[in-house]
Amino acid sequence: MTALTELVREAGLAGRGGGSFSTATKLELAQQHRADLIINACDGEVDARKDGWVIEHHLMDVLGAAAQLTTGRVRIAAQRDSVTIARLQAACVDTLAVPRHYVSSEESSLVRLAHGGPARPLTRYRPITAGGRSETGRRLRPTLVLNAETVWRIQQIRDHGAAWFRSHGTEREPGPRLVTMVRGVARPGVYEAAAGMTFGHLGALAGGFTAPVGAFWLGGLGGGFVAAADAPVARWSRDGLRRWGIGPGAGTIDVIRAGDDPWLTVTAALDYAAGESAGQCGPCMFGIPALFDDVAALRRSPDEEAVERLYRRLGQLPGRGACHYPDGIAGFVRSALRTFGEVPQAVPARRHRHLSVIGPQS
Amino acid sequence: MIGRLLGGAQPSDRHELVVDRIACAGRGVCAQILPGIELDDWGYPIIHDAVPDPDDAHAAVVMCPSRALRWVERTR
Repeated sequence: MTALTELVREAGLAGRGGGSFSTATKLELAQQHRADLIINACDGEVDARKDGWVIEHHLMDVLGAAAQLTTGRVRIAAQRDSVTIARLQAACVDTLAVPRHYVSSEESSLVRLAHGGPARPLTRYRPITAGGRSETGRRLRPTLVLNAETVWRIQQIRDHGAAWFRSHGTEREPGPRLVTMVRGVARPGVYEAAAGMTFGHLGALAGGFTAPVGAFWLGGLGGGFVAAADAPVARWSRDGLRRWGIGPGAGTIDVIRAGDDPWLTVTAALDYAAGESAGQCGPCMFGIPALFDDVAALRRSPDEEAVERLYRRLGQLPGRGACHYPDGIAGFVRSALRTFGEVPQAVPARRHRHLSVIGPQS
Repeated sequence: MIGRLLGGAQPSDRHELVVDRIACAGRGVCAQILPGIELDDWGYPIIHDAVPDPDDAHAAVVMCPSRALRWVERTR
């Protein structure tokens, strides 16, 4: 193990892409296999902006750390036609242009794309960091995929030390962590935060909430909800959100205003999610549109059979795709059901509003 | 031995049966052979018993039209 890996382990850094896996463990495996490096700045989660922010403000730090992490090829992945990729190309960085689909920025999708394949997840029986094979049997080089914020944090740990890093956040989830405040605050944007903060404190970073909050939506499609009534006892960390079955995920926080119908947000998100399956695994390509249909049907009229079907299907998605996309969507719907009522509420008569548009941002 | 060469037999008791979700086309042959496999609402297998009867498991692996069933060393 190199001194840097040792330092990262001491600092307790976990991946900032949403998975929260130990970065040191990944680095160790990458060194054993002399892996190439792909830095993920796609911000693939709904409404996420933080990795583009890291590229905008800390590109030199990211490249500095990258040079220490591998002697192999280093590429930065960003969404096609985004401000971020234009910025990277202007800085003459080796880039990987990624299609604007949710699962395209998944770890194995990026590795497959880097080898000339489609940007879709791959079936894996061991970590892609150790290498793998494409669906056609082609060898894929061992590739370490790290989120842009994670790489920036590695450089900060090199510069300021593990003790400085641990002076932020909590004992179990140390270090500064970026949050994207999406809507419902005075100044939406990306802010430096840390695990363990209250929702009030997070809102204050962005100039405060602009209207009474009904619920918080955390972590996009891979996340879920916390009702405003529960927010005072919740903390922004895996431990502090465990009771609600979610975590900070990719670090987005959106606000559903008090009095707004939360199911409008949920159905719009599910509608988008149904179109974002890579269409490779049956339970995902049929299951997610089916969840949308079930929820939409219950919104039109209450139906006990549909409720039973929805709950059965929610149980049929987790663990049944090549990637964890279906697991995330099932968790998202479960969280909505837990927070907003065990059955999707029917739309009140004469109430008509356009669904908000949800999709990846530039 | 022949079963092992064809990839049908369980290589060791540390291996379990898994589905390559991308390769699987939901033809349902495995569920016809193995009682420990149930099909979901769309015809794709849910494995309840990952270490089934060796002869049945062998038949299911070699008869899968998509070659999507395979033995993988247990990680848990």
